[in-house]
Amino acid sequence: MKCEQYQDKFTELVNNQLSEVDKQSVELHLAGCADCRQELADMWKLWDMMGEIEAPEPSAHLMVKFNAMLETYKESQAEGDGLWARLKEQFGRLWQTQPQWPLSYSLAVFLMCLGIGYWFIRPAKIAEQDKQMAVLTAQVHELKETMMLALLENPSASERIRGVSYTSDIKHADKEVINALLATLNNDPNVNVRLSTLDALTHLANHPEVREGLIKSIVEQDSPLMQSAIADVMLKLQEKRSVKSFKEILKQKNLDSGVRDKIKQTITQLI
Amino acid sequence: MNTLTDNAIMLRVKAGDLDRMSLLFERYNRQLYGFLFHMTYDREASEDMAQHVFYKMLKYRYTFTGDGEFVAWMYQIARNTIKDMAKKNKNRVQQYDVDDMADRIGGGTLADEHLEKKQAKAELHKAMAKLNEDHREVLTMSRFQELKYQEIGQILNISEGAVKVRVHRAMQELKDIYKKLELSGR
Repeated sequence: MKCEQYQDKFTELVNNQLSEVDKQSVELHLAGCADCRQELADMWKLWDMMGEIEAPEPSAHLMVKFNAMLETYKESQAEGDGLWARLKEQFGRLWQTQPQWPLSYSLAVFLMCLGIGYWFIRPAKIAEQDKQMAVLTAQVHELKETMMLALLENPSASERIRGVSYTSDIKHADKEVINALLATLNNDPNVNVRLSTLDALTHLANHPEVREGLIKSIVEQDSPLMQSAIADVMLKLQEKRSVKSFKEILKQKNLDSGVRDKIKQTITQLI
Repeated sequence: MNTLTDNAIMLRVKAGDLDRMSLLFERYNRQLYGFLFHMTYDREASEDMAQHVFYKMLKYRYTFTGDGEFVAWMYQIARNTIKDMAKKNKNRVQQYDVDDMADRIGGGTLADEHLEKKQAKAELHKAMAKLNEDHREVLTMSRFQELKYQEIGQILNISEGAVKVRVHRAMQELKDIYKKLELSGR
Protein backbone atom coordinates (compact mmCIF):
# COMPACT_ATOMS: atom_id res chain seq x y z
CA MET A 1 0.00 0.00 0.00
CA LYS A 2 1.09 3.53 -0.69
CA CYS A 3 1.37 6.24 1.96
CA GLU A 4 -1.70 7.97 0.64
CA GLN A 5 -3.85 4.94 1.31
CA TYR A 6 -2.65 4.82 4.92
CA GLN A 7 -3.23 8.51 5.31
CA ASP A 8 -6.81 8.03 4.21
CA LYS A 9 -7.29 6.09 7.41
CA PHE A 10 -5.88 8.75 9.74
CA THR A 11 -9.19 10.47 10.25
CA GLU A 12 -10.75 7.24 11.36
CA LEU A 13 -7.76 6.55 13.56
CA VAL A 14 -7.94 9.81 15.47
CA ASN A 15 -11.70 9.50 15.59
CA ASN A 16 -11.28 6.07 17.17
CA GLN A 17 -13.40 4.45 14.51
CA LEU A 18 -10.73 2.24 12.98
CA SER A 19 -11.00 -1.51 13.27
CA GLU A 20 -8.30 -3.34 15.21
CA VAL A 21 -6.93 -5.02 12.08
CA ASP A 22 -6.57 -1.78 10.16
CA LYS A 23 -5.07 -0.10 13.18
CA GLN A 24 -2.30 -2.67 13.37
CA SER A 25 -1.44 -2.38 9.69
CA VAL A 26 -1.34 1.42 9.92
CA GLU A 27 0.94 1.28 12.99
CA LEU A 28 3.20 -1.13 11.21
CA HIS A 29 3.55 1.27 8.30
CA LEU A 30 4.06 4.28 10.57
CA ALA A 31 7.03 2.64 12.25
CA GLY A 32 8.94 2.78 9.00
CA CYS A 33 7.62 6.04 7.40
CA ALA A 34 8.64 9.44 8.81
CA ASP A 35 6.41 11.41 6.41
CA CYS A 36 3.32 9.58 7.55
CA ARG A 37 4.31 10.03 11.20
CA GLN A 38 4.50 13.77 10.60
CA GLU A 39 1.19 13.71 8.77
CA LEU A 40 -0.49 11.86 11.60
CA ALA A 41 1.04 14.19 14.18
CA ASP A 42 -0.47 17.18 12.33
CA MET A 43 -3.78 15.44 12.27
CA TRP A 44 -3.65 14.74 15.99
CA LYS A 45 -2.74 18.33 16.69
CA LEU A 46 -5.71 19.61 14.75
CA TRP A 47 -8.01 17.03 16.25
CA ASP A 48 -6.95 17.82 19.80
CA MET A 49 -7.26 21.52 19.20
CA MET A 50 -10.80 20.99 18.00
CA GLY A 51 -11.46 19.15 21.23
CA GLU A 52 -10.39 22.21 23.18
CA ILE A 53 -12.99 24.39 21.57
CA GLU A 54 -15.52 24.99 24.32
CA ALA A 55 -19.04 23.95 23.55
CA PRO A 56 -21.20 27.06 23.29
CA GLU A 57 -23.80 27.14 26.03
CA PRO A 58 -27.36 28.32 25.59
CA SER A 59 -28.47 31.08 27.92
CA ALA A 60 -30.87 30.49 30.76
CA HIS A 61 -33.60 32.04 28.63
CA LEU A 62 -33.84 28.87 26.58
CA MET A 63 -35.11 26.86 29.53
CA VAL A 64 -37.62 29.56 30.49
CA LYS A 65 -38.86 29.87 26.93
CA PHE A 66 -39.12 26.11 26.55
CA ASN A 67 -41.22 25.77 29.69
CA ALA A 68 -43.51 28.59 28.59
CA MET A 69 -43.89 27.00 25.16
CA LEU A 70 -44.69 23.61 26.66
CA GLU A 71 -47.36 25.09 28.93
CA THR A 72 -49.00 27.02 26.10
CA TYR A 73 -48.90 24.01 23.86
CA LYS A 74 -50.46 21.78 26.52
CA GLU A 75 -53.25 24.29 27.03
CA SER A 76 -54.00 24.58 23.35
CA GLN A 77 -54.07 20.79 23.09
CA ALA A 78 -56.29 20.44 26.12
CA GLU A 79 -58.79 22.89 24.62
CA GLY A 80 -58.94 21.33 21.19
CA ASP A 81 -58.53 17.73 22.22
CA GLY A 82 -60.64 17.88 25.33
CA LEU A 83 -63.84 19.07 23.73
CA TRP A 84 -63.67 16.83 20.70
CA ALA A 85 -62.46 13.77 22.53
CA ARG A 86 -65.16 14.12 25.17
CA LEU A 87 -67.91 14.56 22.58
CA LYS A 88 -66.68 11.58 20.60
CA GLU A 89 -66.39 9.46 23.69
CA GLN A 90 -69.88 10.36 24.91
CA PHE A 91 -71.38 9.67 21.55
CA GLY A 92 -69.55 6.36 21.31
CA ARG A 93 -70.85 5.35 24.71
CA LEU A 94 -74.38 6.36 23.72
CA TRP A 95 -74.11 4.29 20.59
CA GLN A 96 -73.02 1.29 22.59
CA THR A 97 -75.58 1.46 25.36
CA GLN A 98 -78.64 2.44 23.31
CA PRO A 99 -80.34 0.02 20.93
CA GLN A 100 -78.77 1.06 17.66
CA TRP A 101 -81.75 1.00 15.29
CA PRO A 102 -83.99 3.32 17.28
CA LEU A 103 -81.05 5.60 17.87
CA SER A 104 -80.29 5.95 14.19
CA TYR A 105 -83.99 6.48 13.56
CA SER A 106 -84.18 9.33 16.03
CA LEU A 107 -80.98 10.78 14.60
CA ALA A 108 -82.53 10.76 11.13
CA VAL A 109 -85.66 12.47 12.46
CA PHE A 110 -83.52 15.02 14.22
CA LEU A 111 -81.64 15.83 11.02
CA MET A 112 -84.90 16.10 9.09
CA CYS A 113 -86.27 18.54 11.64
CA LEU A 114 -83.14 20.60 11.24
CA GLY A 115 -83.69 20.70 7.48
CA ILE A 116 -87.35 21.62 7.75
CA GLY A 117 -86.60 24.26 10.31
CA TYR A 118 -84.07 25.72 7.97
CA TRP A 119 -86.65 25.97 5.17
CA PHE A 120 -89.11 27.67 7.48
CA ILE A 121 -86.67 30.17 8.76
CA ARG A 122 -85.32 31.06 5.36
CA PRO A 123 -88.43 32.80 3.90
CA ALA A 124 -88.69 34.86 7.04
CA LYS A 125 -85.14 35.92 6.51
CA ILE A 126 -85.80 36.86 2.91
CA ALA A 127 -88.83 38.90 3.94
CA GLU A 128 -86.66 40.64 6.47
CA GLN A 129 -84.13 41.46 3.77
CA ASP A 130 -86.87 42.77 1.47
CA LYS A 131 -88.05 45.02 4.22
CA GLN A 132 -84.60 46.44 4.72
CA MET A 133 -84.26 46.92 0.99
CA ALA A 134 -87.53 48.85 0.86
CA VAL A 135 -86.40 51.12 3.66
CA LEU A 136 -83.15 51.76 1.87
CA THR A 137 -84.88 52.50 -1.43
CA ALA A 138 -87.20 54.93 0.31
CA GLN A 139 -84.21 56.67 1.83
CA VAL A 140 -82.49 57.01 -1.53
CA HIS A 141 -85.73 58.41 -2.94
CA GLU A 142 -85.98 60.98 -0.26
CA LEU A 143 -82.41 61.97 -0.83
CA LYS A 144 -82.99 62.45 -4.53
CA GLU A 145 -86.05 64.52 -3.88
CA THR A 146 -84.21 66.81 -1.53
CA MET A 147 -81.41 67.14 -4.00
CA MET A 148 -83.80 67.94 -6.82
CA LEU A 149 -85.51 70.65 -4.83
CA ALA A 150 -82.17 72.16 -3.97
CA LEU A 151 -81.01 72.04 -7.58
CA LEU A 152 -84.13 73.84 -8.78
CA GLU A 153 -83.00 76.85 -6.74
CA ASN A 154 -79.58 76.84 -8.38
CA PRO A 155 -78.66 79.99 -10.36
CA SER A 156 -77.16 77.90 -13.18
CA ALA A 157 -79.69 76.82 -15.80
CA SER A 158 -77.93 73.55 -16.56
CA GLU A 159 -77.99 72.63 -12.86
CA ARG A 160 -81.71 73.35 -12.77
CA ILE A 161 -82.23 71.09 -15.79
CA ARG A 162 -80.29 68.41 -13.98
CA GLY A 163 -82.60 68.83 -11.02
CA VAL A 164 -85.64 68.49 -13.20
CA SER A 165 -84.27 65.35 -14.82
CA TYR A 166 -84.13 63.69 -11.41
CA THR A 167 -87.92 63.54 -11.39
CA SER A 168 -87.83 60.71 -13.93
CA ASP A 169 -86.35 58.61 -11.12
CA ILE A 170 -88.98 59.63 -8.62
CA LYS A 171 -91.89 57.27 -9.00
CA HIS A 172 -94.22 58.63 -6.37
CA ALA A 173 -93.89 62.35 -6.64
CA ASP A 174 -95.37 64.11 -3.64
CA LYS A 175 -97.07 67.46 -3.52
CA GLU A 176 -93.94 69.33 -2.70
CA VAL A 177 -92.18 68.07 -5.80
CA ILE A 178 -95.13 68.80 -8.08
CA ASN A 179 -95.50 72.30 -6.72
CA ALA A 180 -91.82 72.98 -7.21
CA LEU A 181 -91.99 71.74 -10.78
CA LEU A 182 -95.06 73.79 -11.59
CA ALA A 183 -93.46 76.88 -10.12
CA THR A 184 -90.41 76.28 -12.30
CA LEU A 185 -92.63 75.73 -15.34
CA ASN A 186 -94.30 79.10 -14.87
CA ASN A 187 -91.51 81.24 -13.51
CA ASP A 188 -88.12 80.00 -14.68
CA PRO A 189 -86.40 82.64 -16.79
CA ASN A 190 -84.71 80.06 -19.01
CA VAL A 191 -86.86 78.51 -21.75
CA ASN A 192 -84.82 75.30 -21.83
CA VAL A 193 -85.42 74.71 -18.16
CA ARG A 194 -89.12 75.29 -18.67
CA LEU A 195 -89.17 72.85 -21.62
CA SER A 196 -87.55 70.07 -19.61
CA THR A 197 -89.87 70.80 -16.73
CA LEU A 198 -92.82 70.42 -19.08
CA ASP A 199 -91.36 67.12 -20.21
CA ALA A 200 -90.95 65.92 -16.64
CA LEU A 201 -94.47 66.97 -15.74
CA THR A 202 -95.92 65.10 -18.74
CA HIS A 203 -94.57 61.89 -17.16
CA LEU A 204 -96.43 62.74 -13.98
CA ALA A 205 -99.72 63.48 -15.79
CA ASN A 206 -101.54 60.73 -13.92
CA HIS A 207 -101.67 63.11 -10.95
CA PRO A 208 -104.78 65.33 -11.31
CA GLU A 209 -103.02 68.33 -9.75
CA VAL A 210 -100.36 68.08 -12.47
CA ARG A 211 -102.99 68.23 -15.22
CA GLU A 212 -104.69 71.20 -13.61
CA GLY A 213 -101.40 72.96 -13.18
CA LEU A 214 -100.53 72.37 -16.83
CA ILE A 215 -103.83 73.77 -18.03
CA LYS A 216 -103.45 76.82 -15.81
CA SER A 217 -99.95 77.26 -17.10
CA ILE A 218 -101.09 77.61 -20.74
CA VAL A 219 -102.01 81.24 -20.32
CA GLU A 220 -98.84 81.98 -18.35
CA GLN A 221 -96.47 81.01 -21.17
CA ASP A 222 -95.36 83.76 -23.52
CA SER A 223 -92.63 81.97 -25.47
CA PRO A 224 -93.85 80.53 -28.82
CA LEU A 225 -91.68 77.47 -28.18
CA MET A 226 -93.41 76.75 -24.90
CA GLN A 227 -96.83 77.48 -26.28
CA SER A 228 -96.56 74.97 -29.10
CA ALA A 229 -94.91 72.41 -26.81
CA ILE A 230 -97.70 72.68 -24.32
CA ALA A 231 -100.24 72.32 -27.12
CA ASP A 232 -98.55 69.06 -28.11
CA VAL A 233 -98.72 67.82 -24.56
CA MET A 234 -102.42 68.64 -24.26
CA LEU A 235 -103.11 66.81 -27.47
CA LYS A 236 -101.18 63.81 -26.26
CA LEU A 237 -103.05 63.81 -22.95
CA GLN A 238 -106.39 64.39 -24.74
CA GLU A 239 -107.11 67.11 -22.18
CA LYS A 240 -110.36 68.75 -23.33
CA ARG A 241 -110.43 71.21 -20.43
CA SER A 242 -107.48 72.97 -22.01
CA VAL A 243 -109.56 74.24 -24.95
CA LYS A 244 -110.82 77.20 -22.93
CA SER A 245 -107.30 78.29 -22.07
CA PHE A 246 -106.17 77.94 -25.68
CA LYS A 247 -109.05 80.07 -26.89
CA GLU A 248 -107.92 82.69 -24.40
CA ILE A 249 -104.43 82.68 -25.93
CA LEU A 250 -105.87 83.09 -29.39
CA LYS A 251 -107.27 86.43 -28.23
CA GLN A 252 -103.74 87.75 -27.73
CA LYS A 253 -102.83 90.05 -30.60
CA ASN A 254 -99.07 89.56 -30.61
CA LEU A 255 -99.31 85.76 -30.82
CA ASP A 256 -96.87 84.09 -33.20
CA SER A 257 -98.68 83.13 -36.41
CA GLY A 258 -97.19 79.63 -36.44
CA VAL A 259 -98.32 79.07 -32.88
CA ARG A 260 -101.75 80.47 -33.71
CA ASP A 261 -102.15 77.87 -36.50
CA LYS A 262 -100.93 75.10 -34.25
CA ILE A 263 -103.30 76.00 -31.44
CA LYS A 264 -106.24 76.23 -33.82
CA GLN A 265 -105.35 72.77 -35.10
CA THR A 266 -105.08 71.42 -31.56
CA ILE A 267 -108.44 72.81 -30.61
CA THR A 268 -110.15 71.14 -33.55
CA GLN A 269 -108.43 67.85 -32.79
CA LEU A 270 -109.37 68.00 -29.13
CA ILE A 271 -112.99 68.73 -29.84
CA MET B 1 -36.96 7.61 35.59
CA ASN B 2 -33.78 8.84 33.92
CA THR B 3 -32.87 5.34 32.93
CA LEU B 4 -35.67 5.33 30.37
CA THR B 5 -34.35 5.42 26.83
CA ASP B 6 -34.94 8.47 24.66
CA ASN B 7 -37.20 6.46 22.41
CA ALA B 8 -39.31 5.24 25.32
CA ILE B 9 -39.74 8.79 26.56
CA MET B 10 -40.62 10.12 23.13
CA LEU B 11 -43.20 7.37 22.65
CA ARG B 12 -44.83 8.41 25.90
CA VAL B 13 -44.90 12.01 24.69
CA LYS B 14 -46.52 10.74 21.53
CA ALA B 15 -49.14 8.94 23.61
CA GLY B 16 -50.10 12.28 25.16
CA ASP B 17 -47.81 12.63 28.16
CA LEU B 18 -46.50 15.98 26.94
CA ASP B 19 -44.70 16.83 30.19
CA ARG B 20 -42.10 14.17 29.43
CA MET B 21 -40.73 16.45 26.76
CA SER B 22 -39.00 18.31 29.60
CA LEU B 23 -36.79 15.28 30.17
CA LEU B 24 -35.70 15.24 26.56
CA PHE B 25 -35.12 18.96 26.74
CA GLU B 26 -32.84 18.49 29.74
CA ARG B 27 -30.90 15.77 27.98
CA TYR B 28 -30.48 17.44 24.63
CA ASN B 29 -30.88 21.20 24.71
CA ARG B 30 -27.12 21.85 25.04
CA GLN B 31 -26.18 19.43 22.31
CA LEU B 32 -28.86 20.72 19.98
CA TYR B 33 -27.90 24.31 20.67
CA GLY B 34 -24.26 23.48 20.02
CA PHE B 35 -25.07 21.95 16.68
CA LEU B 36 -27.24 24.89 15.64
CA PHE B 37 -24.58 27.33 16.75
CA HIS B 38 -21.78 25.65 14.82
CA MET B 39 -23.97 25.66 11.73
CA THR B 40 -25.01 29.31 11.98
CA TYR B 41 -22.62 31.12 14.38
CA ASP B 42 -25.55 33.14 15.61
CA ARG B 43 -26.34 32.83 19.31
CA GLU B 44 -29.76 34.38 19.23
CA ALA B 45 -30.93 32.55 16.14
CA SER B 46 -29.63 29.28 17.56
CA GLU B 47 -31.73 29.67 20.68
CA ASP B 48 -34.80 30.50 18.65
CA MET B 49 -34.19 27.51 16.43
CA ALA B 50 -33.57 25.17 19.36
CA GLN B 51 -36.89 26.26 20.82
CA HIS B 52 -38.52 25.72 17.46
CA VAL B 53 -37.10 22.21 17.15
CA PHE B 54 -38.67 21.22 20.47
CA TYR B 55 -41.93 22.79 19.39
CA LYS B 56 -41.87 20.82 16.15
CA MET B 57 -41.17 17.61 18.03
CA LEU B 58 -44.30 18.23 20.08
CA LYS B 59 -46.40 19.19 17.11
CA TYR B 60 -45.27 16.33 14.90
CA ARG B 61 -44.95 13.76 17.67
CA TYR B 62 -47.29 11.51 15.70
CA THR B 63 -44.61 11.06 13.05
CA PHE B 64 -42.18 9.55 15.54
CA THR B 65 -42.38 5.80 15.05
CA GLY B 66 -39.63 4.61 17.35
CA ASP B 67 -38.03 2.59 14.54
CA GLY B 68 -35.01 4.89 14.39
CA GLU B 69 -33.12 6.65 17.14
CA PHE B 70 -34.69 9.65 18.78
CA VAL B 71 -31.46 11.60 18.33
CA ALA B 72 -31.51 11.00 14.59
CA TRP B 73 -35.08 12.23 14.41
CA MET B 74 -34.20 15.34 16.43
CA TYR B 75 -31.23 16.15 14.20
CA GLN B 76 -33.33 15.72 11.09
CA ILE B 77 -35.82 18.24 12.40
CA ALA B 78 -32.96 20.55 13.38
CA ARG B 79 -31.47 20.38 9.89
CA ASN B 80 -34.83 21.25 8.34
CA THR B 81 -35.18 24.14 10.74
CA ILE B 82 -31.79 25.49 9.66
CA LYS B 83 -32.80 25.19 6.01
CA ASP B 84 -36.06 27.01 6.66
CA MET B 85 -34.26 29.81 8.42
CA ALA B 86 -31.70 30.09 5.63
CA LYS B 87 -34.54 30.41 3.13
CA LYS B 88 -36.21 33.07 5.23
CA ASN B 89 -32.99 35.04 5.59
CA LYS B 90 -31.93 34.65 2.00
CA ASN B 91 -31.98 38.39 1.43
CA ARG B 92 -30.30 39.20 4.71
CA VAL B 93 -26.56 39.28 4.71
CA GLN B 94 -25.02 36.85 7.16
CA GLN B 95 -24.19 38.89 10.16
CA TYR B 96 -21.41 36.98 11.83
CA ASP B 97 -17.88 38.15 11.79
CA VAL B 98 -15.32 35.40 11.57
CA ASP B 99 -12.60 37.39 13.33
CA ASP B 100 -14.93 37.88 16.22
CA MET B 101 -15.75 34.23 16.52
CA ALA B 102 -13.13 33.12 19.01
CA ASP B 103 -14.47 35.62 21.54
CA ARG B 104 -18.01 34.63 20.83
CA ILE B 105 -17.46 30.98 21.48
CA GLY B 106 -15.97 32.08 24.74
CA GLY B 107 -12.64 30.42 24.20
CA GLY B 108 -9.42 31.27 25.97
CA THR B 109 -10.41 32.71 29.29
CA LEU B 110 -7.86 30.61 31.14
CA ALA B 111 -5.14 32.81 32.55
CA ASP B 112 -2.29 30.46 31.78
CA GLU B 113 -3.25 29.99 28.20
CA HIS B 114 -0.48 31.08 25.92
CA LEU B 115 -1.11 33.83 23.48
CA GLU B 116 0.15 31.62 20.71
CA LYS B 117 -2.24 28.86 21.56
CA LYS B 118 -5.05 31.37 21.74
CA GLN B 119 -4.20 32.61 18.31
CA ALA B 120 -4.02 29.10 16.93
CA LYS B 121 -7.46 28.39 18.31
CA ALA B 122 -8.86 31.55 16.77
CA GLU B 123 -7.42 30.48 13.46
CA LEU B 124 -9.02 27.08 13.78
CA HIS B 125 -12.36 28.81 14.35
CA LYS B 126 -11.86 30.81 11.22
CA ALA B 127 -10.98 27.70 9.29
CA MET B 128 -14.09 25.94 10.57
CA ALA B 129 -16.23 28.84 9.47
CA LYS B 130 -14.74 28.69 6.00
CA LEU B 131 -15.52 25.00 5.57
CA ASN B 132 -18.05 23.80 3.07
CA GLU B 133 -21.32 23.40 5.00
CA ASP B 134 -21.63 19.65 4.47
CA HIS B 135 -18.14 19.23 5.86
CA ARG B 136 -18.74 21.51 8.81
CA GLU B 137 -21.86 19.53 9.56
CA VAL B 138 -20.18 16.13 9.76
CA LEU B 139 -17.23 17.50 11.71
CA THR B 140 -19.57 19.16 14.20
CA MET B 141 -21.46 15.94 14.64
CA SER B 142 -18.48 13.63 14.90
CA ARG B 143 -15.98 15.81 16.77
CA PHE B 144 -18.01 18.23 18.83
CA GLN B 145 -21.07 16.12 19.45
CA GLU B 146 -19.27 12.81 19.41
CA LEU B 147 -21.92 11.03 17.39
CA LYS B 148 -21.00 7.67 15.87
CA TYR B 149 -20.66 7.32 12.12
CA GLN B 150 -23.64 5.01 12.11
CA GLU B 151 -25.77 7.66 13.89
CA ILE B 152 -24.61 10.38 11.51
CA GLY B 153 -25.53 8.10 8.62
CA GLN B 154 -29.03 7.76 10.00
CA ILE B 155 -29.42 11.52 10.37
CA LEU B 156 -28.12 12.34 6.91
CA ASN B 157 -29.77 9.31 5.38
CA ILE B 158 -26.52 8.03 3.87
CA SER B 159 -24.46 4.89 4.47
CA GLU B 160 -21.85 4.60 7.20
CA GLY B 161 -19.18 4.31 4.49
CA ALA B 162 -20.30 7.57 2.93
CA VAL B 163 -20.05 9.27 6.32
CA LYS B 164 -16.50 7.96 6.71
CA VAL B 165 -15.51 9.43 3.37
CA ARG B 166 -17.19 12.73 4.09
CA VAL B 167 -15.52 13.14 7.50
CA HIS B 168 -12.17 12.34 5.98
CA ARG B 169 -12.61 14.90 3.22
CA ALA B 170 -13.78 17.41 5.77
CA MET B 171 -10.62 16.91 7.83
CA GLN B 172 -8.50 17.32 4.72
CA GLU B 173 -10.24 20.53 3.80
CA LEU B 174 -9.94 21.84 7.33
CA LYS B 175 -6.24 21.01 7.40
CA ASP B 176 -5.66 22.83 4.11
CA ILE B 177 -7.55 25.93 5.15
CA TYR B 178 -5.88 25.97 8.54
CA LYS B 179 -2.43 25.69 7.01
CA LYS B 180 -3.13 28.57 4.65
CA LEU B 181 -4.34 30.74 7.51
CA GLU B 182 -1.30 29.82 9.56
CA LEU B 183 1.04 30.77 6.74
CA SER B 184 -0.70 34.05 6.01
CA GLY B 185 -0.77 34.86 9.72
CA ARG B 186 2.98 34.73 10.06
